[in-house]
Amino acid sequence: MTPVWNESFLRIVGRWGLALIVLFFLFVLSAFPFRIAHLGEVRPVFMLMAVYYWTILRPVPPLAVFMVGLALDLLSDYTFGMNALILVAAQWLTGSQRKFLLGQSFLVIWAGFALIALGAGTVQWLLFTLFNLALVPAKPMLISVVLSTFLFPLLVLPLSAVHKALADDPSSVA
Amino acid sequence: MSSQNSQKPVLQALPLKTVTLRLTPAVLVLLAVTLMALHRADTLPVERLRTAAMDMTGPVLTAVSAPFNAFFDQLESVTTIRDLKAENIRLTEENVRLQKWYESALKLQAENQSFRELLNVKADPALTFVTARVISDAGGTFVKSVLLPVGIQDKVQKGNAVMSGHGLVGRVTEVGQSSSRVLLVTDLNSRIPVILQNTRTKAILAGKNQELMKLERLPPDSGMTVGTRVITSGDGGQLPPDLPIGTIVSTGADGVWVKPLSDIDRLTRVQVVNAEMDQTLLTGEITPPSENKK
Repeated sequence: MTPVWNESFLRIVGRWGLALIVLFFLFVLSAFPFRIAHLGEVRPVFMLMAVYYWTILRPVPPLAVFMVGLALDLLSDYTFGMNALILVAAQWLTGSQRKFLLGQSFLVIWAGFALIALGAGTVQWLLFTLFNLALVPAKPMLISVVLSTFLFPLLVLPLSAVHKALADDPSSVA
Repeated sequence: MSSQNSQKPVLQALPLKTVTLRLTPAVLVLLAVTLMALHRADTLPVERLRTAAMDMTGPVLTAVSAPFNAFFDQLESVTTIRDLKAENIRLTEENVRLQKWYESALKLQAENQSFRELLNVKADPALTFVTARVISDAGGTFVKSVLLPVGIQDKVQKGNAVMSGHGLVGRVTEVGQSSSRVLLVTDLNSRIPVILQNTRTKAILAGKNQELMKLERLPPDSGMTVGTRVITSGDGGQLPPDLPIGTIVSTGADGVWVKPLSDIDRLTRVQVVNAEMDQTLLTGEITPPSENKK
């Protein structure tokens, strides 16, 4: 059980550092003002991609996902707790199917993400409609889901790099 | 659920870290729902938390977005060079047209000045501006808002109007020491008292989370025509009067729709208008009658 602190401490820091950098990059992508018309409106759900993919490959602590959601909530103008709710629920759902998804081809995992993204978008849309007591246009949400689905394979590259780096790490939960 | 129950003995043998790994989703979902309910009930604590977070992340976002901005600037300059000739022709034509407008504006200004003197009109308070770069598109799919790296230290106040080159784009809703949050006019929660420039008809301009905004509370038969400019009325004292917002683009059976003058979907630099405002309207505190008599 004793981790090999002395010999690979720096390596461990480096590996978790990579995870943090990717996370930070996703944060910036989630808030950066794109100067392309309507791209902000249909912004892909980058953080959901990370939560989904990493949940399949390794159990991420739900508390960490919750905190990331709250951070997103602080940065955005959404009701406080909404992103946290969406991310934790998505992780929960993905986690429950983890054993099935682990043995599947990438296409199945990709389809799974499309479903999760659609589910998350729909829940958000329902909540906003409820809070505003008015029908919020659903089109931007649907476009965002489609865009996220198409971008998912691209983002999987840095995400799996982080996974591989962490998988070699003896101190991490594999 | 049953698989979790069967693993219980294993869980107890595992370190605390693993136990929290499996047990918390339900608790966290409940916690998130509670937080949402609390926020709906009282927005002030979240607002304070957000302002603090905004002040903290503001400089980081500014630094991080610098290379992205440089890239976009470069991209824009490339497309600009390509379109230079066409742009030149357009500008020459526009210049001729504007020269005529300039002449008539000078004439009207002189005329206006003399009327004001005749009527002894009290001048509107002078407007001051702070220009800022948009550092974060804080809204996303369901909320239309942006973050600016200016705050209390730049004399930005809650309720200030925010303009881009062409017209009003939003209103400051939260202010931190060095950052502020702007609710855009297209947001579902945005309601702005306006008048139509030609008829002086009053209405409320409501955001719909779409590209266009809708004119509400219009008097019947107000004779709306496509192309009419919509400007702020200054009613309520929150926004200064006569700031242009948009033009009417359709007057169908589904209501009167207004297109914003600014390109709200890709704002880069905006100006916060620091107008003198009636503070009682902002705070809701009315001076007691006894003090008024003094």
